[in-house]
Amino acid sequence: MAIELSAVRYRYAGASKAALGSVDLRVEPGRVLGIVGPNESGKSTLCLVAGGLAPRVIGGRLEGSVRIDGADTAAMRSHELAQRCGLLFQNAAAQLSGTTGTVFEEVAFGPCNLGLAVADVIERVWWALRTVGVEDLAPRHPARLSGGQAQLVALASVLALRPQYLILDEPTSELDPAGTALVADALARVARETGAGILLVEHKTDVLARIADEVVVLAEGSVALQGTAAAVLADPRLAELGVEPPARVRLEREVRASGLEWPAALAEAIE
Amino acid sequence: MGYLRRWAARQFTTRVIVLMPVGIAINIVLGSTVQQALKLPIYLDSIGTILVGVLAGPLAGALTGILANLIWGYLLPAPIGTSTIGPFAITAGVIGLLAGFWGRLGLFRPRRAGGASIVAAAIAAILVGALALYTYARAYASPDVFASITGFGATDFDRSRIFFLVIMVLYVALVGTALYLRRDVGAVFAIGAGLVTGIVAAVVSAPIASIVFGGVTGSGTDALVAAFRSGGDSLYQATLKQGLLSDPLDKMITSFVVFFILGSLSRRFVARFPNGEKALGHEVETGTAEAAKG
Amino acid sequence: MFQASLAAGRGLPEYVTRRPGGFYRSVNPSTKLAIAALEVVAAFAVPGWPVPIAILALVVATAVAARRLRGLLMVALAASPIVGSILLINLFLLPGASDPIVRIGPLAPTWSGLWFGLQTVLRLFAFSAAIALVYLTTAIDDLLADLARRGLGRRAVFVVGAAVQMVPRTVERAAEIVDAQRARGLDTEGRFWRRARGVLPLAAPVVFGALTEVEERTMALEARAFSAPGRPTLLRVPADRAVDRVLRWAAILALVAVIGVRVAGRLG
Repeated sequence: MAIELSAVRYRYAGASKAALGSVDLRVEPGRVLGIVGPNESGKSTLCLVAGGLAPRVIGGRLEGSVRIDGADTAAMRSHELAQRCGLLFQNAAAQLSGTTGTVFEEVAFGPCNLGLAVADVIERVWWALRTVGVEDLAPRHPARLSGGQAQLVALASVLALRPQYLILDEPTSELDPAGTALVADALARVARETGAGILLVEHKTDVLARIADEVVVLAEGSVALQGTAAAVLADPRLAELGVEPPARVRLEREVRASGLEWPAALAEAIE
Repeated sequence: MGYLRRWAARQFTTRVIVLMPVGIAINIVLGSTVQQALKLPIYLDSIGTILVGVLAGPLAGALTGILANLIWGYLLPAPIGTSTIGPFAITAGVIGLLAGFWGRLGLFRPRRAGGASIVAAAIAAILVGALALYTYARAYASPDVFASITGFGATDFDRSRIFFLVIMVLYVALVGTALYLRRDVGAVFAIGAGLVTGIVAAVVSAPIASIVFGGVTGSGTDALVAAFRSGGDSLYQATLKQGLLSDPLDKMITSFVVFFILGSLSRRFVARFPNGEKALGHEVETGTAEAAKG
Repeated sequence: MFQASLAAGRGLPEYVTRRPGGFYRSVNPSTKLAIAALEVVAAFAVPGWPVPIAILALVVATAVAARRLRGLLMVALAASPIVGSILLINLFLLPGASDPIVRIGPLAPTWSGLWFGLQTVLRLFAFSAAIALVYLTTAIDDLLADLARRGLGRRAVFVVGAAVQMVPRTVERAAEIVDAQRARGLDTEGRFWRRARGVLPLAAPVVFGALTEVEERTMALEARAFSAPGRPTLLRVPADRAVDRVLRWAAILALVAVIGVRVAGRLG
C-alpha cells in the first residue's frame, strides 16, 4: 500500500530536456515524505506526475510507472484518481471553485461532484472541516479568507474526497509565518488522524523538520539524497545542493563551530 | 452523431470550462469599466470572446460571447448590468464563431520577422487596401447596378466608395501602428481578420438594433443613425451604415489586442487548449528553463 | 461512530439552505423566468398601448410588494440615455410623419413621432423591468440550482456561476489598473488619439491578471472530481410548489399563444 514511482522519467511537451530523470520513490500511508531542492529541480513536476496530472491534463511524455496501491494511475479516470490522491498547490485562491458562497458548500463541492447522497456529503464536510480544524469558518465566504485560511479550506475540500494520499506543492510558500504554522499543524494532524500518506514539497526546511518522517533532496530532476528527516536535514551536503538547512541545524553548526557544546536538552527545547 | 458529440466533448475540456468565465468577465469588465475610462467610440466588449474563440475553438468562442451578453444584460445588477446588451448575444455568438475559425487558420499566429519583412508587410497592406478599393470601385458598372444589387440608393454608391476608402485607411493605419509596436508580421493577418469580423458583426447587428430598439443604443452612435435617417435611409439601412462605421474599427482594435496578448502568453499555457497548437503554429520549443519549471 | 451520526443528524446548516422569504422572492426561479419571458414577448409582440402599460404596472406593483422598487428605479435610471435617444430621434426624424407640433426653423417635431417614441420607450421599460424583476428577487445560486435540477449540466452551471462571481472582483482589479496607469502618465482625458493609445495598457493587464489562475484552477477542479460522470448532488434546491408549477405552465402556454397569434396575424 503506497504511491510508488518506479524509474519515472518525464518530459514536458515541446521540451528538449527531461524534467525528471529516473526517480524512484515511495509514499506510505501515515508517513510524511518531504521533498526539497533548489529551483527548477523538478519538485513541482514530481507533484504533477505522482498525482497523475502529468501527462493526463498537461501533456508531455512519461516513462516508467506511477502506481497507487498497485494500480497504474494512467489507467484511472481523473475522478477515481481524485479519490485516491488529493492535490494541493501554492495559490490558495486559485484552488477555490469560485462558484460557492460559503466554505461549507466549497468543501462540499468535491463530494457533490461525485453524486453522493446528501447525508454522506454533510458527514464528509464536517469531518473534513474538523480534521483540518476550520469548523468555525464554515459560514464564511471563501473569497474573503486570509491566505492561510484559504489554504486550509482548500485542504479540507480535497480531504472531503477521503483520499488515501495527499500531495502538496509548496502549500505555505505564499503564507506568512502564522499561516505556515497553521497549515503545518493541520497536515501533521491529518497524517496522524486519517492515516493518509503525505508527499510534501517544501522550501521551508523548518516545516519539514517539524512534521516530515523522511526527506528526499531533488536536484536536476533526480534524487540526490534520501533518508530520515533528521539525517537528511542535518546532512552537510544540503548547502551545496542548493537547500538551506533548518534553523535548528544552522544554529547547532554555528555553536559547535565556535567550540561550544550543543546539549541535547537545548535541541529538544528548540523543537 | 456520436462523432459530433465526441468533437463537442473535446472542445469543452475542463480547461476550456475554466477559461470561459474568464472570457465572460473580461468582456464585461473591459466593455464597461475600461470603456468608460477611455470614452472612445468603440465597444471593447469582445476581447474575451475572441480570445476564447482563438484558444478553444468556434463553439467555445460562440458560447462565451452569447453567455457574456446574457449575463451582462440579465444577471448583473445596474450599474454594470445593461439590459440593452442582451439581444446582441447573437452578434457576440457570431464573433466567437468566426474567431474560432481564424484561430484554426492560424491568423493569430505570431510571425516575428526582421526589419525588411516588416516594411514589406506594411507595403503589402497598403497595396492590398488600394487594390480592394479599386476593385470595389470598379465592381459595379454604374450607380444603378449598385442600387439593384445591394438595395441601397443609387446616390449611396459614391458614399460607399468613400466609406470603403476610410476603412482601408484605418486598416493600414492600425497595421502600421501594430507593426511599430511589435515587430510582428502576424498583425497584418490578425487585424485583417478583425476587419472581416467587424463587417459581419455590423451586418448581423443591424436587424437586431432596428427591430428591438428602433435603431437606437443609447451611445453616441445614435447621432449617426439620426443623420442617416434624416438623409432618407430606412431604419435598417441607417443602423447598418452606423454599424459599418463603428464595428470594423472596434473589431480591428480588439483583434490586435488579442493578438498582442496571445503573443505574450507562455507557449505551454496556449498549447494545452484545443485550438492552441493551431494558434501557435508547429514550432517546437527548445528552451529548457521554461520546460523544467514546475 | 458517534461523531459520524452526530454530523449526519445535523443536516444542512441554515446559511446553506437559506430559503428566500418575502413576496415573489419565494416563487420558484424557473417560474419567474417563464413569467418574465411572457412579459418580454408580449411587450413586443402585441401592438398598441394597453399591453405594455399593463405589464409595466404589474412589474412595478410586484417590485413594490417585494420591496425592490429601488432596484427597479436604478434600472430605469441606467436606461435614461437610450430613452432620451429614442424620444429625440423619433420625435424629429420619424419618416413619413406629417403632423408637426411646431416648426423651429428646419426642425419639426411631429405628433406621430412623439407617440411612436413614447410607445417604444414604454416597451423598452416593460422589457427591462420584467427582466430586472427576476434578478432583483432571485439569488443566482438559487436560479442555477433550479436549472440544474431540471437538467442543466454541471459545466454550464460552473461557467455561469464562476462568471458572475468573477465580474465584481475583476472590476475592482480593473479600477486599480486604471489608477495605476493614470499615475504612470496614461492619458484618459486628452485627445482621441492619445486616449486610443490607452487601450492596450489598460486592457492587457486586466486580461493577464484574469488568466493567471486558469491553469491551477483547472487542476484544482480535476482534483475535486469535476469530471465525474452522472449528475452531481444538489445541496439546496428551491421549492417548486403547486402554485409555482401552475403559474409556470400558464406563463409558457400564454407565451406560445402570443407568439402563435402574432405569427398567424402576420401571415393571415
